[in-house]
Amino acid sequence: MTQCSSELCMLLIEDNFGELFARIFTVLQRYERLTLPRLKFYSRLTDRQLHHGISAMIQHHLVYHFTSLDDGNTYYEANPQAAYSLVRSGKILQHVESRLGEYAAQVLEAIMFLGHTSITHLETLPQLQPSQPLTNGVDHDEEQPETNGDHEEKAGEPNGNHVVSQKPARLHPTLKSLASHGYIHRVREAHFQSPNDNWLDAHRIISSRPDVKQMKGKQQQAEIEEKAKSMVKERTEGDLSRGLMFNGLPQGVKRKFGSASGSNNAQNGTNGVNRDHAEDEEDDEGNDWSEDEDGIDSSPMDSNLIVRVNYEKLDVALRNAQFLELARQCAPPASLEIYDCLLRRIEYQTPRCRETYEIPREGEEGEQYSAPIQLSAIVNDVDPQLDLAGCIGPMNPTSASNRRKRPLEDETNGVNGDDYEDESTEQNRAYQIDQHLSYLSQAPFNLTTKHNIGGLDTWRIAFRGLARKLRHLELERMIESRYGDVALRVIRVLHAKGRLDEKRLQEISLLPFKDLRQTLASMQTGGFVDLQEVPRDAQRQPSKTIYLWYYDPDRVCSSILEDTYKAMSRCLQRIKFERERERDFLEKTERTDVKGHEEEFLSEAELEHLRNWKAKEALLLAEVSRLDDMVAVFRDY
Amino acid sequence: MASAGSQVAELASKLYDACVSEFDPDHLFYQNDFLNLKVIPKNDVALLLQCTQSLVDQNLFRLLQKDGKLTWRLIDREDAEKLRNLSPDEAMVYNVIHSTGRTGIWVRHIGSRTNLHKSILDRCLKSLEGKNYIKSLHNVKYPSRKMYMLAGLAPSEEVTGGAWFTDGVLDANFINTVAGFIEFTVSKLSWYEVPASDSGRNKRIKTASGKADVKSEEKTYLPYPHGYKGYPNVQTITAAVNSSGITPVRLGDESVVQLMEMLCYDNKLVSLGAGEFYRSLHSPNVVQANQKRKPPSEGDDLAIANKHLVKNGMTEAPCGQCPVFRLCSPGGAVSPETCEYFDPWLSNGLGF
Repeated sequence: MTQCSSELCMLLIEDNFGELFARIFTVLQRYERLTLPRLKFYSRLTDRQLHHGISAMIQHHLVYHFTSLDDGNTYYEANPQAAYSLVRSGKILQHVESRLGEYAAQVLEAIMFLGHTSITHLETLPQLQPSQPLTNGVDHDEEQPETNGDHEEKAGEPNGNHVVSQKPARLHPTLKSLASHGYIHRVREAHFQSPNDNWLDAHRIISSRPDVKQMKGKQQQAEIEEKAKSMVKERTEGDLSRGLMFNGLPQGVKRKFGSASGSNNAQNGTNGVNRDHAEDEEDDEGNDWSEDEDGIDSSPMDSNLIVRVNYEKLDVALRNAQFLELARQCAPPASLEIYDCLLRRIEYQTPRCRETYEIPREGEEGEQYSAPIQLSAIVNDVDPQLDLAGCIGPMNPTSASNRRKRPLEDETNGVNGDDYEDESTEQNRAYQIDQHLSYLSQAPFNLTTKHNIGGLDTWRIAFRGLARKLRHLELERMIESRYGDVALRVIRVLHAKGRLDEKRLQEISLLPFKDLRQTLASMQTGGFVDLQEVPRDAQRQPSKTIYLWYYDPDRVCSSILEDTYKAMSRCLQRIKFERERERDFLEKTERTDVKGHEEEFLSEAELEHLRNWKAKEALLLAEVSRLDDMVAVFRDY
Repeated sequence: MASAGSQVAELASKLYDACVSEFDPDHLFYQNDFLNLKVIPKNDVALLLQCTQSLVDQNLFRLLQKDGKLTWRLIDREDAEKLRNLSPDEAMVYNVIHSTGRTGIWVRHIGSRTNLHKSILDRCLKSLEGKNYIKSLHNVKYPSRKMYMLAGLAPSEEVTGGAWFTDGVLDANFINTVAGFIEFTVSKLSWYEVPASDSGRNKRIKTASGKADVKSEEKTYLPYPHGYKGYPNVQTITAAVNSSGITPVRLGDESVVQLMEMLCYDNKLVSLGAGEFYRSLHSPNVVQANQKRKPPSEGDDLAIANKHLVKNGMTEAPCGQCPVFRLCSPGGAVSPETCEYFDPWLSNGLGF
């Protein structure tokens, strides 16, 4: 926990939940684990405030608590992950909305707003009731109402403008589809304890077991390690998707709103690739949530179940969106569409972005492949209307002699997909989709990897390598903007070759000495490259020393991550400051009689002013969310 | 004895002529080569030795040693003439310089090899240079060293730093020109150009493609499928560069490889199959557009220059560009409240 990130977490909590939470959280961050009396002492809050605050924060998973069996004390600890996740809520809701429709986003928003909740409680929520007209955001009296401002700004879509025309029992199927996608999971008791406590607890229990006690030395340790791992896993396992998957596809995967993307905001249209043709292969009538699905689906979910948002899984989904973005840089649109299908299939089978807590160091990271997806599955998923042949050139532009016979070649060089479409057979389609995936597997990004299992073609994704590429790309963007494209070339050379002295560097990068030195010096000041001295004799004379330049992406990544946190904090602080500047005016607009009736009570100039203010706030919040994209790349993927 | 001497001289000149006519001038002669010429009667080794010795004395043969065996090499009659006119010191210096060939030799090394006094050495070098037998050259690796090589030779790549250096300085303009040409050539070969008759039908694809602003009258390019074998290799590109007339000198494969690798580091090309083939990442349209855009971006118009930069959160936010970001803290001298970058940034952001 560094200074910048704790500052950011504090700001986020203050923004979302108010000062009381922020105060408690800061104290916990500063002093780490505290018992209630100590916490009271440091935070200088009254018992009542503290009890109220702590319990609500536990509800939101912002605070871990752990009751020690040794001294009987309960310790409280801050959960920075949960605090940070607050900033991502808008992005997540947008993703869910584009995937599962507006209503699912509302359900998820309600769950997010409550921290965790039982199904029964969700059933009673007025805004999730089908017949009732929706009000703007969520405003029941249970928590502080600051939340909705944040969500709406980023989701970019005011919630009040749609007419809901759904069948009565929509909540349960929606919850089920959320659960089967893995976006929500069951809350277990262990989720309230910090991962460390869980681990130590499991360790203690395992090592006190008689059969383990009998073992000795290394064997015992290994046994404890292994058992504790599985125990923690078992205790924190909240997966709800079991039994809800159908043919490897989660429920509700068919898009309900065909034109969902149209109404989506264009603010960051990450997933707006020709959304207008939904995949409708197996059962075309699956356009509704109601009873025409299989028998299991119509049964409601266990109403005693307590669920919360599964951020780990949502990170996977957001990471896939980034991969798709990467593909957009180098691939034709049809390939993108196919890649999207592949990524989606993979998402269903990927519980989290990586197994280790920290991102492993560069070069020490083994490749980790996603679950392999069969070609046939992708073929089923891809929209049959998609023009596959039209955006990849022919294998052999001059003659018809081809490695594999394609009927396509007989016509004018395979670029006219329209004629071809009519006679396309399953096999041809499979071949073409395979071609597209092969195209994506090429350098420089190697977005896909082919894998042959038992004679069946499958495709998978090399996650770690791609995540690394994303990191490098972010760094390169920063370097390009700060030091120009000359620096970019130098950095890539250094990254590929390791440590180099100036002369060799010049030979490879083919840059004039003057430019090269200037760039290197300014990058060194910025902390992007570093110089190593290798003296040739004991005196360490400068004239007899070899100077080697190098570039350490790990180090740069971690320092940029800190900078990013800091930049996010600054944006949030600026919002606060701007709000302070406009306080009188904003207080007027937030008066209960004015709010919602702005047109009636405010003058033309004031309305204009309000619009300006909203735009300003939106701009800053959008910037925060852009910075969050970077944090995700550096920290979470 | 005199007759024997003249006989040797005669034989020697016969031997020399035979060598010139039978072998190419760079051939390294072993004893057997001479004997195979059947010039020496009865293959008399002692006589051969006398002949070769006399030729060496006349500077027509150069005595060398290879793998512990004596070998000889031919010297042109003209060169021999030159050598014969030199003083012994000069000849020694000349030979040393000759022995280093196209790499040239540092003055200090000549001194240590010949054991001549510095003043004598300087005089020899001066007179040789005056006769236009040797020339001084500039080494990229050791710019401060004074080096010499034979006047008739072109310095090797090691010394000049390859084709990309003129007088020991990197020729940036030349490099950019050739690099631009190579990128365009590779690009043309790694994208499929849709025939004009088809382009009308494929309008839908073009508009959907986010590749670049492909206008309807422009050519449409499609990528080749995986496993396509027609991507250019180094030889093709070298040939194309040399036949294009943009280079005053012929470029070798290795210079072109150097440049292509540089382009790979620029993310303009990718090498496939461990450098066997190269493929361009951008279609010819884009390449051309990029090259056209280059000159104005070097001017002071930052707004245009910024457009082709890829962006992320950090490059956009005022904090990413802030020179005093490290000093920034709430309540400090530099703080988010007093920040002077936010207001222009906000008004700029709201402007469009």
